[in-house]
Amino acid sequence: MSPTPQADQLLPVADGRSTTRVAWRLLRARRGSLALTVTAFLVTGFAGIVPVLMIGRVVDVVRDDGSFTDVLVPVGVMLAAAVVAAVSTTVSTAALARTVAPALAELREEVLDRALHLDSQQLEAAGVGDVLGRVGDDVRRVTESLDEAIPMLLTSVSAIAFTVGGLFTLDWRLGLAGLAAAPGYVLGMRWYLPRSIPFYRAERTAEGARAEVLVTGVRDAPTLRAFGVEDVALERVERRSGDAVAITLDVFRLYTRLGARMNASECVGLVVVLATGYALVSTGSASVGDATAAALFFHRLFNPIGAVLYVFDAAQASGAALARLAGVALIPPRDVAPVDAGPEPVLTLQGVHHAYETGRPVLARIDLTIRPGEHVAVVGATGAGKSTLGGIAAGTLRPTGGRVRLGALDVTTAPEPVVRRHVALVSQEVHVFAGSLRDNLLLARADADDEALWRALETTDAAGWARTLPQGLDTVVGDLGHPLTPAQTQQLALSRVALLDPQVVVLDEATAEAGSSGARELEQAASAVTRGRAALVIAHRLTQARTADRVLVMEDGAVVEEGRHEALLRAGGRYAQLWAAWSDTGEQPVGQA
Amino acid sequence: MGRGGRDTSTESPDAPTSAPATAGALLRRALRRNGRDLGRGYPLLTLWQLSETLVPVVIGLVVDQAVDGGGLGDLAWTLGVLVALFVVLSNGYRYGARFIKQGIEREAHALRVEVAGHVLHPRGARTDRLAGETLSIATSDADLVPMALHQLGYAIASLVAVLVTAAYVLRVDVVLGLLILLGVPAVLVAIQALAPLVARRTARQQESTAAASGLAADLLEGLRPLKGIGGEDVALRRYRVASTRASDDTVAVARSWGYLDGFTTALSGLLLAAVALLAGRRALDGDISLGELIALVGLTQFLAEPLRGLGDVSAQFAASRASAARIVDFLATPRILAPGGRTPSEDRPELVLEDVTAGPLAGLSLHLRNDELVAVAVDDPAVSDALVALLSGDLDLVSGRARLGDVELAELSVAGRRRHLLVVSHHGGITEGTLRTTVDPGGQHDDGALAPALAASAADDVVRLHPDGLDRPVRAGGSSLSGGQRQRLALARALATDRPVIVLQDPTSAVDAVTEQAVAEGVRRLRTGRTTLVLTSSPALLRAADRVLVVREGRVVAQGTHADLLRDADYREAVDR
Ligand SMILES: Nc1ncnc2c1ncn2[C@@H]1O[C@H](COP(=O)(O)OP(=O)(O)O)[C@@H](O)[C@H]1O
Ligand SMILES: [Mg+2]
Repeated sequence: MSPTPQADQLLPVADGRSTTRVAWRLLRARRGSLALTVTAFLVTGFAGIVPVLMIGRVVDVVRDDGSFTDVLVPVGVMLAAAVVAAVSTTVSTAALARTVAPALAELREEVLDRALHLDSQQLEAAGVGDVLGRVGDDVRRVTESLDEAIPMLLTSVSAIAFTVGGLFTLDWRLGLAGLAAAPGYVLGMRWYLPRSIPFYRAERTAEGARAEVLVTGVRDAPTLRAFGVEDVALERVERRSGDAVAITLDVFRLYTRLGARMNASECVGLVVVLATGYALVSTGSASVGDATAAALFFHRLFNPIGAVLYVFDAAQASGAALARLAGVALIPPRDVAPVDAGPEPVLTLQGVHHAYETGRPVLARIDLTIRPGEHVAVVGATGAGKSTLGGIAAGTLRPTGGRVRLGALDVTTAPEPVVRRHVALVSQEVHVFAGSLRDNLLLARADADDEALWRALETTDAAGWARTLPQGLDTVVGDLGHPLTPAQTQQLALSRVALLDPQVVVLDEATAEAGSSGARELEQAASAVTRGRAALVIAHRLTQARTADRVLVMEDGAVVEEGRHEALLRAGGRYAQLWAAWSDTGEQPVGQA
Repeated sequence: MGRGGRDTSTESPDAPTSAPATAGALLRRALRRNGRDLGRGYPLLTLWQLSETLVPVVIGLVVDQAVDGGGLGDLAWTLGVLVALFVVLSNGYRYGARFIKQGIEREAHALRVEVAGHVLHPRGARTDRLAGETLSIATSDADLVPMALHQLGYAIASLVAVLVTAAYVLRVDVVLGLLILLGVPAVLVAIQALAPLVARRTARQQESTAAASGLAADLLEGLRPLKGIGGEDVALRRYRVASTRASDDTVAVARSWGYLDGFTTALSGLLLAAVALLAGRRALDGDISLGELIALVGLTQFLAEPLRGLGDVSAQFAASRASAARIVDFLATPRILAPGGRTPSEDRPELVLEDVTAGPLAGLSLHLRNDELVAVAVDDPAVSDALVALLSGDLDLVSGRARLGDVELAELSVAGRRRHLLVVSHHGGITEGTLRTTVDPGGQHDDGALAPALAASAADDVVRLHPDGLDRPVRAGGSSLSGGQRQRLALARALATDRPVIVLQDPTSAVDAVTEQAVAEGVRRLRTGRTTLVLTSSPALLRAADRVLVVREGRVVAQGTHADLLRDADYREAVDR
């Protein structure tokens, strides 16, 4: 069994170049605060060097037997530097966050934007956790890395520059001696970087898988408990989380091995500097003070160099996360020059066929025309392909073949917002969105005023119960608030369509989930919503078929009968059979029928 | 009240849980249960920090003994000491940091599993949080808590470094030593003023991050309905608000860190200047040598690093605490099922409700005898939902009694419930896996044993339809199946458990009428000799029942066979399509 989606079904990950392009685009838009960040960190770095220089001055004063007042000047400068460093630290930290946090927020919004606009098939194949992992864990990883790495990078680079400069001004030979450490550093990085990249990528993927099992486990908890298998889901969480931990620890182990290599380079460098100092002093070409200072300067390089290496590491880690974000953000939006369907458009499906899995068609060539105001009902056994046809007609599902046109509009290629201006679909799946009743309605038309909302609720007979809600339209509904019955949820879905006011509606068993008696009320709501529009009604309740202008009977992906209710009944085929079963109130006991 | 036997096999799910009661307790437990890793990591890390502190001292040794007029032999042994120090330093960090990292990751993992385990507890949990929020708690908060362990390690190491420095300085000069010994704590105390600010802002940031995650998950879950009305852009605007708030809160946290670090920088700079001033003066006075002066200021300067670390510690700790508090709150949310410990003594208990009031149920009574298939026709879906909630333990009785055999529902143990009773609400979800794991989530049956359940629910054709048969993959939520296929598989799953008492809510609402009749007959056939309650208005199912209870306004108002009841005009009206 496969508890997580196949790797090839996951959403795309960007390559290095595209990732950089995305990062650069986001940063360029924040040039001002980026410049402030860099400046402030460079000032911080410089202010950090000043005390070292000033201590040198104090030492000089003592060596030259100066007076106490001569000491006051460098100490004063140190104080001033402390104040400057304090201010620049504060400013730089805030400026960095003001650059990075909104940039990442923008990126995660783009990711969700692309995800929401994806084909729902593609998204469902990848799993909700894949998206949530990206907008959650990945963003967090980049934030953490950058928050640490950028300050380190900028302060370290300035510290290194100043310190190396200092080393060379002491004595160029001592400076060269210090460079003895450089090959070690370079080799260490060349050893580490290629080795760590796969780990970081794997870590990101593992955390995505972890998000998937967490979120599905939480969501399915009631069902899992009912069947006594919640422990299986928990085990899965444990395993996925364990996988991610194992990778994290592996890459950290690698990192500490890099650390050991760096320490070795430091040690070599320090030994060479001290030995050179020894040689220079013993030949009288340098003073003991210079040799001491050189060693201390070199020692001061340890932290900033270590920091720069850490930055490389952080760049890898956040690069892996950023690539996953960029991968989704770079999915091109469906975009063809917008066309309007025009007034009173006719919906036509021509030779439409579909297969979710290649080689397994679920819809054979279907031709269908729905004229303005015409009501077409689709009936048939479960799994016959009704919802598939509905999705294709409404443009939420792209067929493998065939054409779908609405007036002048090519539904299969037109941008979704354009299609949605003309066609609405009430899907078989229902969902109460977290938030208030108003939030739920406004999804259909953000600018609707209260009056319009109430009108929509009245259309579907929902106004009655809506008025009894404790806070009216502002009542939080759903699992975390006022619970809605399936019938009310469907009324809400239908009210959204009323708000949207499209020319064509596709209702997919819009009355099915109501179960019991609510169904008949829903049927009225459905007919109120379809009034005056072209409608494709996938009907589980055959009373809806009876009133339709035309009925399509589907079986195994094909339309096997077509016509008006009465005609189909007379024909005595599949429809007549369905109708008999449907209208059988069960006066005969089982077995005696 | 029941006479059923005590259940010993289910001690764990029914026992009270022992999650820490406070954030502090959670952090202490983190420390305790990672004692092995931390007990090794902290000393090694301290050794590393100590060695780092000693590097300038050893440099001084090399200069003193070798550079300043020593021989090659002196150079060799002093450099040998330096190399040895580096060996200690390098290995101290390498292994110390590894142990600590291991402790941190293990703790985060344990917390994550604990958060998931709270929701996936046999008795469930009423967390009142969106799935995406829970995800955020299980990842973001669970990762932030053990950062306290990291901080503590570096704090201990820093403290040791400070003490060693102070000791060295004290030996050289009492006044300077005292300045450091008093100055460092003074700086640290002063910094404390800002820690609560960081903590407060961190808590808010974690909250808004979780809210954004919750919203995203909710929108993605409702993707199909959302797309149907083209609500993506409005939804996205909503997410943008949540995301921007989270981002603003992130900036606010960073700003508070900026204040804190700026303050630390200022104070440690001040301390350094004071040391330089004092040391300079004493050197001028001849109280200390030039070499000592260099060592002193060198050390003080080095102090800036651990000082900054120590300054951050309390704020980091406070941030970890904030996340710990969120986890504690989460773990403290109540269980759904009462911690009953009883299991019915009969193998096939009766299900009895007497005069039950709860929610919209107003004096509902029903007596489900052994081997009966009873249908309940309810006028109001809210009543149907309440009945299902009551029987699944999700709704408490206000008055009346509800029992399974000789055990009150509220006293039923988890194992007792699972052995005898299954309640399936109409939105019983389909989980990710294959057709086989869908109908047999526990993996208890072989294909032969599954066949009758599949046939009875008319789900066998779903299996036949696909070349992979029972191994056909199923996506989360069953999104790769048709609505009716989902419903039939959910029914097959329920029937396959073969529990003595099964309650089904609207099991055929998404199934066509012909299939519905087949299902009604199948259920009747398969449940012969078992007890079944079906909440439905489907004539096919009503007809298949031995008895139909008509519920109006939360009470049973009529009962009889479907055929008998059809003579009543009200009933006819209620079930007529
Ligand atoms: N995403 C998917 N991937 C693979 N198969 C699918 C997917 N969605 C639906 N199917 C299959 O396509 C067939 C038609 O489904 P559908 O159109 O939903 O039927 P219905 O007529 O019940 O609405 C079914 O056999 C179903 O299992
Ligand atoms: Mg369908």
